[in-house]
Amino acid sequence: MFIQQMINGITLGSTYALTAIGYTMVFGILELVNFSHGTVYMFGAFICLILMSTFGLNFFIAFGISIVLTGALGIAIDRIALLPLRKRNAPKVTALISTIGVSIFLQNLVMVLWGSETKNFPRVIATKHIQYDSFRISYLQIIILVTSLVLMLGLTLFIKKTKIGKAMRATAQNIEVAKLMGINVDFIISFTFFLGATLATVAGVMVGMYYQSVDPMMGFMAGLKAFSAAVLGGIGILPGAVLGGILIGVSETIATGYIHSGYRDAIAFGILIAVLLIKPTGLLGKAVQKKV
Amino acid sequence: MKKKIIVLLSVIMIVGLIATGCAGSKTSTDTNEVVVAVTAPFTGDYAQYGNAFKTATELKQKEINETGGINGKTLKLEFYDDKNDAKEASNIAQRLVDDKSVLGVIGNFSSSASLAAASVYESGGLVQFSPTASHTDFTKQGNYMFRNINTQAIEAPMAADMVVNEMNKEKIAVIYINNDWGITAKDHFIEAATDIGGTIVAEESFIGGQTQDFTSILTKINGTNPDVIFIAAFYSETGMIAQQLQQLGYDYPLAGLSALYNEELIKLAGDTVEGLYLTTNFFPSESDTIVTDFLNDYKEAYGQEPDQFAAVAYDTLGMLAKAIEVAGEDRVAIRDELAKISDYEGVTGNTTFNENRDVIKTMRILQIQDGKFKLFK
Repeated sequence: MFIQQMINGITLGSTYALTAIGYTMVFGILELVNFSHGTVYMFGAFICLILMSTFGLNFFIAFGISIVLTGALGIAIDRIALLPLRKRNAPKVTALISTIGVSIFLQNLVMVLWGSETKNFPRVIATKHIQYDSFRISYLQIIILVTSLVLMLGLTLFIKKTKIGKAMRATAQNIEVAKLMGINVDFIISFTFFLGATLATVAGVMVGMYYQSVDPMMGFMAGLKAFSAAVLGGIGILPGAVLGGILIGVSETIATGYIHSGYRDAIAFGILIAVLLIKPTGLLGKAVQKKV
Repeated sequence: MKKKIIVLLSVIMIVGLIATGCAGSKTSTDTNEVVVAVTAPFTGDYAQYGNAFKTATELKQKEINETGGINGKTLKLEFYDDKNDAKEASNIAQRLVDDKSVLGVIGNFSSSASLAAASVYESGGLVQFSPTASHTDFTKQGNYMFRNINTQAIEAPMAADMVVNEMNKEKIAVIYINNDWGITAKDHFIEAATDIGGTIVAEESFIGGQTQDFTSILTKINGTNPDVIFIAAFYSETGMIAQQLQQLGYDYPLAGLSALYNEELIKLAGDTVEGLYLTTNFFPSESDTIVTDFLNDYKEAYGQEPDQFAAVAYDTLGMLAKAIEVAGEDRVAIRDELAKISDYEGVTGNTTFNENRDVIKTMRILQIQDGKFKLFK
């Protein structure tokens, strides 16, 4: 039973990690907690589902189109809800509230368009599993874990090694100076949102398929857990998001399995608070000197 | 170009706001109308239930008005969206109590919303007739609270009897939704099941609308070797539980309550809910002319099968209209007449109120066979 619970916990954790990567990346670049991330995650899963069910597209094509569409949505969110605020030098908290507004709008839009009931998400890939003794692990569980690791590595390399990644880091350090160096910061920020939204879609589709269901509220709790995972690992740090996600997933599962299911969130978040009290920057976070 | 996009999106947002916000708009009434309000979630997470109320009461309204209305006056329905939110429900209650043209209220959908609004209706002296609030405390809030569904004190013991005596299972694992409804259902179920020889081997809870992952609960339950898993939850989570059971490679018979009687369950969970047992007081294919007429009319009007929520809302309006017909346009008299109703022949069976204004309806057992709800007993 313990091994099966660990498999359950690591899979649950990798679904959090998958969502947390996008969260932490946007924060790392903009120092903005993007509360619309969870909703975009839901939106991506819905678009993919609608493309498959209503238009009868093949999963991979639907997945591809939904990534592009939600990427565009990410840019639109930035252009409509955040760029005007940046132009007026609004405080960061205003932008945060604006993302909450976007999130409520999108949630209700989905409910009006496609109804509020939970929908079946067909499991079309990786339906097989490995049975060993009394426990089993499905291919999809492995794919989810591997995807979150690959995305973590890929994005780290992208940000460290490419020219646009360099521009993103420069923007993160100081927008004004980045502008003076000839970086088109509005483009960089929009691009960050594009990337964040595509990551959210990958997570939403994977998780939707894993649980074989999607509903308009699925992004709320997922967003909250992913945000916590990102903070636990050290917000802004990509490997931290994965580590934090898996830790929260495993502690939730252990709490359910060995104490009581009613305490799962209480225990998981208790651990989160305890870690932050001891290490306020998160597990992998380093104390940064504040810019003057 | 940028401006155009902004204008376009603002227009979409405004249209969105209007589309979601206009459910409660009110027009002036004249004296040739009898007004009944229906308050339920028409938007938000539970919108499908509110819409079942809406379609069914509109169907009943049409029938009543085609056969002469209520004492020669036209029955008019007003819809108020409570979003299944307790605060919203009591705000609406205040508005309806103050609006003297409203003679009775059908709603709310959930026990939580109904309980929150009850004190307002009670102090305003307006009938609050909930088709679906099954929490035992609801009708204890005052004399104006009525319900048209078996409480969990009645349904859960019937479900216990179904599990222990019809399915012949002894070791029972219970999974319940952690809210007013789920806890009452679970408590009454466990009490009744242990009385008739069942053993409860596990009791696990989850938070509705938040918990998606049941693998840890199910792995734990698997360790207790139950004969059956009893689920006190709605269809969406029950579907996920069934699917995750299969993913983990566990095979246990499932049993549940009438809250699962929804086609969406089968659409969501497919063959993983095959063989599931549940209790219900409404089943469409019964050979009863009232039921078949309702079925045909509903299908003709909306192109789909009515579910139990639609059926019970349909009966609720029927009973309220009958009370108004006898009592006339007087809120107190309507309450008294409604309480007196006995043996109302509706689509959800024969209905009589007891002294607490609760109903006792006969229940049936359904089983999912070949992807369809079938009558078991």
